[in-house]
Amino acid sequence: MIRSSISRPLLAAALAIACAGPGCYVGVDDPEATAASDGFTAGPTQGGSAGTNSGGSSDSDSDSGGDSDGDPGVELDPAPASLRLLLRRHYRNAVGDLLGEAAAAQVTPPGDTPINGFDAVGAAQLALSDSSIEAYEASARAAAAIGVADTERIAAYLGCTPTGPDDAACHESFIRDFGRLAWRRALTTDEISRYVEVAQAAALDTGDFYVGVENAIATLLQSPHFLYMVDIGVPDPDDPSRRTLTGTELATRLSFFLNDTTPPAWLIDAAEDGMLDSAAGIREAAAVLLEDPRAKDALDNYFSEVLQLRKLDSLAKDPAVWPQWSPELAQAMRQETLLLLQDIIWQRDADFREILDAPYTFANQLTGPLYGLTPPGDGVWTEGFVKTPLPVESKRGGLLGQGALMSVLAHISSTSPTLRGKFVRETILCESIPAPPGDVATVIPPAGEAAPTMRERLEQHLSDPICAGCHQAMDPIGFGLENYDGIGMFRTEENGATIDTSSQVSGTPFDGARELGAALREQRAVSVCVIRNLFRHGVGHIETSGELPTLFALEETFAARGYHLQDLLIELVANPAFRMVGTPE
Amino acid sequence: MKRFTLNRRTMLRGFLGGGAIALALPPLEAMLNGNGDAYADGEPLPRRFGTWFFGNGVALENPYDPNNHKLLWTPSGQGPDYTLSPQLMPLADLKEYVSVISNLEVRAKHPEVRGHHTGVSGFFSGFPYIKLDPMGANYSSKFGGPSIDQVAAALIGQETFLPSIQLRISKRIVTGEGPTLNYLSHKGPDQPLQPIHNPQEAFEKIFNGFVPQDDPTKPLRLNALDAVAEDVKRLQMRVGHNDRQRLDAHLASIEQIQKQIDAIAPECMAPAMPGETNTDQDGKEPLGSVNKVMADLLVLAFQCDITRVASFQYTGSVGYTVFHTLGQSQGHHDLSHDANANAQVDAATVETVDAFAYLLRRLKETPEGDGNLLDNSCLLLSSDVASGLRHTDYNQPCIVAGRGGGALTHPGIHHDAQSANASDVLLSCVKTVAPEITQVGGGNGLSNTPLSAIMA
Repeated sequence: MIRSSISRPLLAAALAIACAGPGCYVGVDDPEATAASDGFTAGPTQGGSAGTNSGGSSDSDSDSGGDSDGDPGVELDPAPASLRLLLRRHYRNAVGDLLGEAAAAQVTPPGDTPINGFDAVGAAQLALSDSSIEAYEASARAAAAIGVADTERIAAYLGCTPTGPDDAACHESFIRDFGRLAWRRALTTDEISRYVEVAQAAALDTGDFYVGVENAIATLLQSPHFLYMVDIGVPDPDDPSRRTLTGTELATRLSFFLNDTTPPAWLIDAAEDGMLDSAAGIREAAAVLLEDPRAKDALDNYFSEVLQLRKLDSLAKDPAVWPQWSPELAQAMRQETLLLLQDIIWQRDADFREILDAPYTFANQLTGPLYGLTPPGDGVWTEGFVKTPLPVESKRGGLLGQGALMSVLAHISSTSPTLRGKFVRETILCESIPAPPGDVATVIPPAGEAAPTMRERLEQHLSDPICAGCHQAMDPIGFGLENYDGIGMFRTEENGATIDTSSQVSGTPFDGARELGAALREQRAVSVCVIRNLFRHGVGHIETSGELPTLFALEETFAARGYHLQDLLIELVANPAFRMVGTPE
Repeated sequence: MKRFTLNRRTMLRGFLGGGAIALALPPLEAMLNGNGDAYADGEPLPRRFGTWFFGNGVALENPYDPNNHKLLWTPSGQGPDYTLSPQLMPLADLKEYVSVISNLEVRAKHPEVRGHHTGVSGFFSGFPYIKLDPMGANYSSKFGGPSIDQVAAALIGQETFLPSIQLRISKRIVTGEGPTLNYLSHKGPDQPLQPIHNPQEAFEKIFNGFVPQDDPTKPLRLNALDAVAEDVKRLQMRVGHNDRQRLDAHLASIEQIQKQIDAIAPECMAPAMPGETNTDQDGKEPLGSVNKVMADLLVLAFQCDITRVASFQYTGSVGYTVFHTLGQSQGHHDLSHDANANAQVDAATVETVDAFAYLLRRLKETPEGDGNLLDNSCLLLSSDVASGLRHTDYNQPCIVAGRGGGALTHPGIHHDAQSANASDVLLSCVKTVAPEITQVGGGNGLSNTPLSAIMA
């Protein structure tokens, strides 16, 4: 699988993280283990240079902005594609685009089941059950009933005036046009004739042409060609083990990735005309999709998923510990995090790594006082969020100092340095932390005189070699964030004792969120992980060793151009790893 | 599908969310034979099977002694004269229907024993969990084979409108570690079944799914699904092996939904829609109320023979349910890992057993033939670990309740299984509804030896 010589040491480092069993790490002070825990920063990078992190080499083809199909020096062995079910939000948005918001409001598609932290991965692995089929049937029929009543919209799809219920040609015209948009590709002659039969049977049975239309809609929306992204592709002439997605398959992947919805008509037209057959054409199409306001919504949804912000919808906190906690506060926190991301990605198109240490946030009457911030300007907090500088002494900066993550990555009545560290390892660095083994006692000593702070309690627990292996990788990261309690409020004491928040991550000392973020952003593994996470969501599987070298090469481009996320999205979708699939197994 | 299409009348006396329903229908006995233990045509009364799960195990006798694995749960004495432990006292009035089995060993083990994952997948399916740990991502797992309720559903589900039903009470579920912790029912590794947590949705599913015979949309809906099935079959020819299997499941589900659309409703009048929606109030889950309404609905579903198989996820594996009515404010999983919280875990166990007892009691109170629904049911209760603190799947709490239509020992016993394969219990339970089955589980969890001690 690994055909690129440059990838071997990098993968070896990655595999060192993924080891199972009680010993995640030999010990965090061991230089070998530290190198491993850094993921990819210590290994040789592209071209064999012993680069350490972000700079990247600028001699890669892929940053030329030309019509390259990626760096020819990097071999790609793409994973086979699986049928990928539309996510719930994809389904709803697609129905809205096809039949209008009133129709979309009636649908109740089944919920998503994440695997390895991604809804898209579950969608590409799991099979539908009775209750899902039932939900899709009910949704399709409800959407069709509402949709067919929108006479203007239906007339546009029809392109003809029906002469009566037996007007099969007019049904055919509808199925050809609506079906192509719903299935994201032209229907075959055989498919059209079978669906005309569906429409005709219903129309003749009821004597109503539009009952035929309604049933055609309801049936098209239940078809696997609507419910799944079907990525079959055509064999790559240079390497028959690989397949290149067809134009319309790629249009589908692009649109659901960048806009969370079905490809618009212009994109299907363009795909059929060959626009997506070249990297330049794909970049152009992607740039247009990023102009759509739904690109912002799609990224909000993506970050809500990956950063676990959706948990804030039902997150409970112990009112005896945090009487301030409320659903409104939780939503304000979610909003704060999304506003920072939007500011960096869209408003400023800044270095994306600022999400880790930005010295400002967006605060309102709920979060501002919680953080002890001073409102800028006239000095009054309102419901609205205002960009507010973060005082240095709060050690806040970036996402890791915000209430959302600090609340989600905590227990109901206490902090959890372990959960915070695990999040950094898994989501920020893309490292695997093995599951805790069974058959081990998991007693954490109670808070008391011997161990008044969470750090001291966990440090005792870290003395157990069975636990220490993995917890050494996680807990110290959380120790450095212990100034933020389980809802993100600043504190310096716990149970009367001063909290020691000096810590280190992969050998770099830090104290607090801003320093942690500053340390992390310099690690190449972090910018690679930004790409890996987006890729996982965009294609529905965890990248394989055959795909990693290509993603590393993409990181060089990301780095060389200053880490702009919009630009990265465009380069990612134009990348062969996004456009190609393996032969189905 | 034949039984529920019969023009059978069923006596219903249900209590839904506190409101009594009494329906004036002719008694069921009219359709039974002289002994009241079978239909007049000789077909035996239906038998039901349900799994009942709660997460994070139970409290320890001594949480501070790491070598002491004894559970407060365990009854004293063996055989039918056993004495219920205080944790099991909510079952006191049902004791003759309750067998407690101690010292079962989950042998369905992935070599990498993983807390909770091994216990829930191994116990409830008899298959080792499947590890999903791609490099650089967080770990997950899925069930290694069908959960035991789905083994039963595959054997007897075709007899009823719904092959099975999945219900969930607490919503504090861990979703980030794959389907294993998220769901209790799995038709296979790639087909977890999402449970219903809202009683109103459960009501809709059980009672409002029937389409009137003269509904003009019925043929159109069936026709549409035929066309969709045709698309699925054609697509199967273009995809790889895994996707073909997924599409097989898709096809099977289409066929099932077609059956349901075409089914004739039993003459079993539906109660009123429950008011309960399982919505949190001030961040608190209405556990008690939801448990009662869901149990009531399940009893009605059994009684009307709308389904014979159920899974009931009371709390989640690694679940963080807060038992707030006990004055608790922390999540159950956290408490289960805190030696100082042993008493709180214990109190939660009692409340959990009380919730289970409610279902058993309602089944027992519901007459059927010359006995009651519990006589014709088998309910299997377990968890995902024995105790959170020891994190071990050995001696997970286990109850087999009901008479299984006479297949289970009565009165119930306390049985020391002496490290018998936990899958033996699964086989015993499935045999109550499908006596012809000879083995369950797979790999090192396979069993072809039912636990004879609990069989009649």
